[in-house]
Amino acid sequence: MSRSPQQRTPAVNRRSTPGRRQFLKFAAAGGAAVVLSSAQGAAWAAPAAGRTRSYVLVVDGCRPDEITSALTPRLAGLRAAGTNFPAARSLPVMETIPNHVMMMTGVRPDRSGVPANAIFDRAGGVVRDLDRPTDLHFPTLLDRLQGRGLTTGSVLSKKYLYGIFGTRASYRWEPQPLLPVTGHAPDAATMDALLAMVGGPDPDFVFTNLGDIDRVGHSDLTGTTLRAAREAALADTDVQVGRFIDHLKGTGKWDSSVVMVLADHSMDWSLPSNVISIDLILQSRPELQSNVKIAQNGGADLLYWTGAEADRASGLAAVEQLVAAHEGVLAVNRPADLRLGAEAGDLVAYCRAGWRFSDPYVASNPIPGNHGHPATEPIPFFISGGSPLVVPGSVSSEPARTVDAAPTIGDIYGLTAPDGGYDGTSRSSALRL
Amino acid sequence: MPDGVLLWTRVTPTPESLPGSGAGPDVSVRWEVSADPAFTKVVARGTAATGPGRDHTVKVIATRLAPGASYWYRFILGQEISPVGRTRTAPAAGAPVDRLKFGVVSCANWQAGYFSSYRHLAARGDLDAVLHLGDYLYEYGPGEYQARDVVVRPHDPAHEMTQLAHYRRRHAQYKTDADLQALHAAAPFIVTWDDHESANDAWKGGAENHTEGAEGAWSGRFAAAHQAYAEWMPVRYEPGGQMYRRLDFGSLASLSMLDLRSYRDQQAANGTDPSISSTARTITGAAQMDWLLGNLKSTGPQWKLVGNPVMIAPVRVPSTLSTAELAGVQKLMGGTSISGVPYNVDQWDGYEADRNRVVRHLRDNAVKDAVFLTGDIHSGWACDIPADPASYPATGDSVAAELVCTSVTSDNLDDILNVPPRTGSVAVENAIKAANPHVKYLDFDSHGYSVLDVTAAGVRMDWYVLAERTSASSGSALSTSFNVQAGTGKVTPGQGGLQ
Repeated sequence: MSRSPQQRTPAVNRRSTPGRRQFLKFAAAGGAAVVLSSAQGAAWAAPAAGRTRSYVLVVDGCRPDEITSALTPRLAGLRAAGTNFPAARSLPVMETIPNHVMMMTGVRPDRSGVPANAIFDRAGGVVRDLDRPTDLHFPTLLDRLQGRGLTTGSVLSKKYLYGIFGTRASYRWEPQPLLPVTGHAPDAATMDALLAMVGGPDPDFVFTNLGDIDRVGHSDLTGTTLRAAREAALADTDVQVGRFIDHLKGTGKWDSSVVMVLADHSMDWSLPSNVISIDLILQSRPELQSNVKIAQNGGADLLYWTGAEADRASGLAAVEQLVAAHEGVLAVNRPADLRLGAEAGDLVAYCRAGWRFSDPYVASNPIPGNHGHPATEPIPFFISGGSPLVVPGSVSSEPARTVDAAPTIGDIYGLTAPDGGYDGTSRSSALRL
Repeated sequence: MPDGVLLWTRVTPTPESLPGSGAGPDVSVRWEVSADPAFTKVVARGTAATGPGRDHTVKVIATRLAPGASYWYRFILGQEISPVGRTRTAPAAGAPVDRLKFGVVSCANWQAGYFSSYRHLAARGDLDAVLHLGDYLYEYGPGEYQARDVVVRPHDPAHEMTQLAHYRRRHAQYKTDADLQALHAAAPFIVTWDDHESANDAWKGGAENHTEGAEGAWSGRFAAAHQAYAEWMPVRYEPGGQMYRRLDFGSLASLSMLDLRSYRDQQAANGTDPSISSTARTITGAAQMDWLLGNLKSTGPQWKLVGNPVMIAPVRVPSTLSTAELAGVQKLMGGTSISGVPYNVDQWDGYEADRNRVVRHLRDNAVKDAVFLTGDIHSGWACDIPADPASYPATGDSVAAELVCTSVTSDNLDDILNVPPRTGSVAVENAIKAANPHVKYLDFDSHGYSVLDVTAAGVRMDWYVLAERTSASSGSALSTSFNVQAGTGKVTPGQGGLQ
């Protein structure tokens, strides 16, 4: 189905309110329908004029060097028009869920409870994704702004992101249609939803994740032979971003809009031969293997000691020594040193560039495109838009991080820091506040 | 430093207090630092003792100055007042910095011509500092190394320097050059040594241009060279200390100045010697390598500049050169002429394990914005540093950039081939670029200097070339520019530059 980049004004069809939520159905481009939900009693009318709209667009898995005027002209144009932070980086563990949580909370995982995509749930005795609303233990921008009388929205392409942020936003879109295997909605559908969100309830702040670039990255075999597929995804996502900009301009909202664009992590490609299985490494020491659970996160493995407490220190020391000796392992860290908190277990192993973890079995992680390790820290990060608040045409040496999103957006609205303060830094040099 | 600067001069209190003589009295020299060139706003003053024990050189570290500020300084001995020098403090740690501009020079052979490059840099008036990447002076006597076959200006003493008195006199001779004096007076110098400050192809246990016994013990000669350097150069290094060091410029840049002569193992015989890849050999020494990798990290200032005396980008000899061209390249590089192998084992190419450690560290940790600033090789280069040379032609993946300034005067390829500039060398340049696709720019002929412009958006190197190095009044002209856009680690031609 081809989609026109031209924006149509969404038609609105209010539905009855089931349970404690109310739903609104919008006709989107191409005749598809977009269903948004809100808390019961939330207003669907556009708020008063004279305010600042702000948007955080996450181009999931995008490397900063992939934004070029030739391949992604709309993103490159946005970057050039605002303030760019070329030294920006993702934070441990360089995975989707923890970095989206850091963006919205402004705090590190040892305070939010969300250190990785996958953890070993000691209570449940299973390795699982952190995709439950109760996994997130810290207030987010999505709910804190509502306390200031503002409205917020979430348009998140990945099912697990929708899962963890749940109903925190005033308005939210449940991603659909979900593609098989990847569990995400294509960017075109996600953009339909964002346009419906902005064209309908028009929240003061909307948090959006565009997942296509990341998903193609995961399936790109080497990063070279199938680079065309990656570039096609980049080009398409750029078109979707262009639709958003055109919509804001076409509806007179651009002049009041601040648009922050960043990625949650970048991407690294490994060869089939460059696979590390910690379970396999520990095979020679059954007493260790049987007492360690592994939560695989692509370029990072989280290791949990499940044996006797008396054996913990010596057992972990032995595991650390064995794992660190592997040629593909960059480092074995203590979670506290990475500010990951108890949920991250006892050890966090990083792989080198060009490698990946695959646990518990060598065949468990067949995808060559991975992140989670330091090689995937660099991210695009820029603040643009038509608002007079945006500092135009600037480049900053400041070390922007994903955790800086919340304090930066919060500053626009005079939001005070949460209890205990932010761990991130407001990149207010990009704004005339 | 943000709060202080090093000031340098040399005094001649009595006629017999000649450089290298060991004669003359101990004296006390007054110094003043002012916020204006007329010295109406003196902010620091003091006295410094010197004498024949340090060849009447004076080094002062003036402190309690404001960061990121220009100052003027002078020395007073009796009724004599020195010419006024301008210097500049570094920006405060972590402070935002819009722009830095450095002069970049290396390889100034007195006998091969005049230091017009220094004069042109001094006249700019916009430099935060001058980076001298080594070969500030040469050890040879007249007739041993000059401009092709012509000794433009003979060295003093008129023989190879091998002892402390020789090194002192040679330093003193260089310091009499008006253009060099002008540049020292115009901007602070950030220096490191390469080999010719002691002897050609120096390593920790010897040098190509050192005959053990006949020229004394290398340990004594090396120590004498370093002592004279410490006395005669504006550098904090003192004998027994450590030359490699890091300087920070706010949040914009750090600068790691390397010492690649004091700790390195002996050069391999040639590029086919399997020892070039031995993990037991080092160009940096273990401590300096750990220090360097610690500086090349993702936190701290954005740009990780490295003052790197010899090239780190791999360069292989192409298979398409004529015998004469190969011989010329071999003479220039001092290396092999066998195609497909590293052409210069005095560079990082001869110490592959150390280079691999640096490249792997940059790649594994995704360290961005590392730029190696290099001298030594008497030619201008702009190179990517491939993450993997084998796959680079397909991927273009680069972990850092290398920008190499050419020589102020020292011979390069057209001089060695004895052909006019931009004639016989051009084919060699093209062949090397074809065989080494990460080499984006190569000028084997020109002499001159570079200017490095650093902003958050990118780093740009401008190469300026002299019209005639043997002319004391040579003009200079911009030859080319290459950029390193922030976050890319790749060099690109400078079309309009980064502003």
